[in-house]
Amino acid sequence: MEILRVENLDFTYPDSKTKVIDDISFSVNEGEFIVVMGESGCGKTTLLKCLKKEIAPHGEKSGNIIFSGKNIEEMEQRESAASIGYVLQRPELQIVTDKVYHEMAFGLENLGLSVEEMRLKVGEMASYFGLDKVYRSDTDTLSGGQKQLLNLASIMVMSPKLLLLDEPTSQLDPIAASEFIATLQKINRELGTTIIIVEHRLEELFSVADKVMVMDSGKLLMNNAPKTVATKLKGHKMFAAAPTAVRIYQSLDVNCECPINVREGRNFLQTHFGGEKIRKSSIGNVRENIIENEKQGEKDVKSELELQICENKANTKKETSIKPGAKLVLQDIWFRYEKHTPDVLRGVNLTINEGEIFAILGGNGSGKTTTLNVALGLLNPYKGKVIINGKPIGKYKSAKLYKNNLSVLPQDPQTLFTEKTVELDLMQAIDISGEAVKKVHKEVEKEVEKTEIATTKLSQVQINKISQQLGIKHLLQKHPYDLSGGEQQKVALAKILLRNPKVILLDEPTKGIDSCAKEELSSIIKELSKSGITVVMVTHDVEFCAITADRCGLFFDGNIMSVTTPTKFFNVNNFYTTAASRMSRDIFDGCVTVNDVVNACVNNLQ
Amino acid sequence: MKVFENYHPIVLFIYFISVLVIAMFETNPVILGLTLLGGVLFALLLVEKKRFVKDLVMILPFMLLVALTNPLFSHNGVTPLFFLNGNAVTLEAILYGIDIAAMIMAVIYWFKCYQEVFGSDKFLYLFGKIIPKVALVISMTLRFIPLLRRQYKKIADAQKCLGMYEDKSIIDKAKVVMKNVSILITWSLENSVDTSMSMKARGYGIKGRTNYHNFKIHKMDKILLIITLLMDVTVFTGMITGNTTFWFYPEITAIKTTLLAFTSYLAHAVLSFTPFIIELKENLKWKYYVWKI
Repeated sequence: MEILRVENLDFTYPDSKTKVIDDISFSVNEGEFIVVMGESGCGKTTLLKCLKKEIAPHGEKSGNIIFSGKNIEEMEQRESAASIGYVLQRPELQIVTDKVYHEMAFGLENLGLSVEEMRLKVGEMASYFGLDKVYRSDTDTLSGGQKQLLNLASIMVMSPKLLLLDEPTSQLDPIAASEFIATLQKINRELGTTIIIVEHRLEELFSVADKVMVMDSGKLLMNNAPKTVATKLKGHKMFAAAPTAVRIYQSLDVNCECPINVREGRNFLQTHFGGEKIRKSSIGNVRENIIENEKQGEKDVKSELELQICENKANTKKETSIKPGAKLVLQDIWFRYEKHTPDVLRGVNLTINEGEIFAILGGNGSGKTTTLNVALGLLNPYKGKVIINGKPIGKYKSAKLYKNNLSVLPQDPQTLFTEKTVELDLMQAIDISGEAVKKVHKEVEKEVEKTEIATTKLSQVQINKISQQLGIKHLLQKHPYDLSGGEQQKVALAKILLRNPKVILLDEPTKGIDSCAKEELSSIIKELSKSGITVVMVTHDVEFCAITADRCGLFFDGNIMSVTTPTKFFNVNNFYTTAASRMSRDIFDGCVTVNDVVNACVNNLQ
Repeated sequence: MKVFENYHPIVLFIYFISVLVIAMFETNPVILGLTLLGGVLFALLLVEKKRFVKDLVMILPFMLLVALTNPLFSHNGVTPLFFLNGNAVTLEAILYGIDIAAMIMAVIYWFKCYQEVFGSDKFLYLFGKIIPKVALVISMTLRFIPLLRRQYKKIADAQKCLGMYEDKSIIDKAKVVMKNVSILITWSLENSVDTSMSMKARGYGIKGRTNYHNFKIHKMDKILLIITLLMDVTVFTGMITGNTTFWFYPEITAIKTTLLAFTSYLAHAVLSFTPFIIELKENLKWKYYVWKI
């Protein structure tokens, strides 16, 4: 039975000429699970908001939206609030009240139910979502994943028929995200709730969805079963967002049904490329050698061994034994937050070399971010030493540590923005008397005189340079808060790069950004590393780590374990690894990225 | 283990109000003594031992000060003990000072117990009945204070790591704080859109909003309410009929020994020690159950 029908929907924001939604028509049957994909700014969020009367954006709208046989404009307030639920992107900001039970009851309170009715519904939903243990807790004490589950639960108590979700897992770590999607699937299967979800993390959603809609600049490009969409997606920008199996299938010219998850992908590889002879060809090692040669030149072929030795030396706590190339050294760091709480860091040893991209992976609360804050001098370990650029961190005086030396890109880029436009914001970051300006100064000295106008000009030159490098030129006149997640990330990166750092620390750089932005970010980071900047990142994102990092380590039990190259690292891991690695395990050796698998297959065919 | 807090907010509120009203309007040393003892014993069970001692060390000198100040400034009374700078220090004034100190201490301790027992949810329930909108605002405030505090820390760290601001003098530091607060305000204004959307999406603004709570009236609530009201009536009867009246000036009156006076004292003892007894009984019961396991 049809539950929702959209007829020729057009939408234009005020003071804008282009249509955000351009003649979209589709229909949704009851109980369907629909995934909407599209680039940032393609209008998918606007479309979702238009479907819910209470939060529909202001602007010029034409066309009809029919929900259960009734135009949503004519729906009664109470009915509309209860029967269409909406979950937003950031879990933190949707929570209204201080207690979990109160939050769950909030919608029912608005509908004016009696306390007895509410108690029954809230209790039922709390146990369905596994929130019964935190029922009386403060909402602020929940983890990110629990918060988003609470948001979902506090909508499900109103028993909606249609659930709209706008990138609900983008702020969650992979484990919490999988859990959330599993819960959605459970709701869909067990309660028959119709679900429309906008998302850019699609690895799992493709096999859950009944239909996938692809949007491109306000138009509905495709609206079909996942497999059909998967076969048509090649060549489109959104191809990068498709599940690993789809991308591998599409890069190979094989005539069969398109696999959409790891299991089907394995079957696919086994039937078409399996066999003993290829397996041994060990593609990964070849790739690894290429990378190492490219990156460090011939002298560092033995780097693995040398690093090992270096780390051992670091253990002996002799400053003199530090390798000259080491930019950031952590020596036997022990840290705890309070006197009587357990240790978070338990003797962390780490040496990071110049121009290296190092990734620290690990679960939530394993101490990754704590390590980062210790390296930044924001937290003081009770034992151990942090050495930055050959100098112990304590020897730097106040702000000196962060000048032309060490910078961090925080998890939330919004914490960096201070000004009205991106340009002013970047301008503010330029240190007039700093090293970088002097350098630029020398370059343009002949043309410009050393006057005050010259200084602004110099800043302009620098901003131009950096915005060209990061591709943010078109954003300079916008307000930083008006940008998409990926754009904000790039502007924030530009801002810290203007501080002319030698070492950059990145805290979850891929949080909340789409796959296109991820690829861009990866190449930017590689560029930076080529120009001699050392990059250390803390991340959950194994796929991103596999294509970006030179070395990575797993954080577990207060310590960094198994520091090695991504290829080796992900090959050893069974669960904590990329989808490509899980797919090709036991079929090919040492394949970690989509390209590895594709190369292996192609080699195999020859 | 706290048991007394499991009672219904309305019952608890009536109970605390009656104890506090009696403590504040009665100067009779017997009644005040009972109130003080009941409050201190109850606090002993509620508050952590370490904190209890710490509080006591803080409060006692202050009370001593109150007790000693009165005879220095008030020279009423008929029994001069000695003369200070030509002014009589009287027995009555000293005893009255002690009485006042005991009263203040009793009120402090009962408020302490109130704080331990009366969580924000109970407070909100009571006031939500009277003014629903205010209750929601308080609940939202309680939710956003920790959120903003956390965000401020993030902003301060991020700005510090940009290394643009010196932090040598107080003026520098103040400038940094101002900047950070301004970022925090922008952030919260920009992002409150999400919160309001989430509220609207769940139907906020529809007429006829109700208030959810987790409280039910049980048998034990009724019993406590009846006890409280009965004891209140008895004590007030004693007070109004003048049976518990007590004067310090000009001469200390004798404590009355009429039947009604005694009944009033007894009733007040029951009122003051009820929470202590309930708490103690349940604690012992609990220990017994644990021991049985």
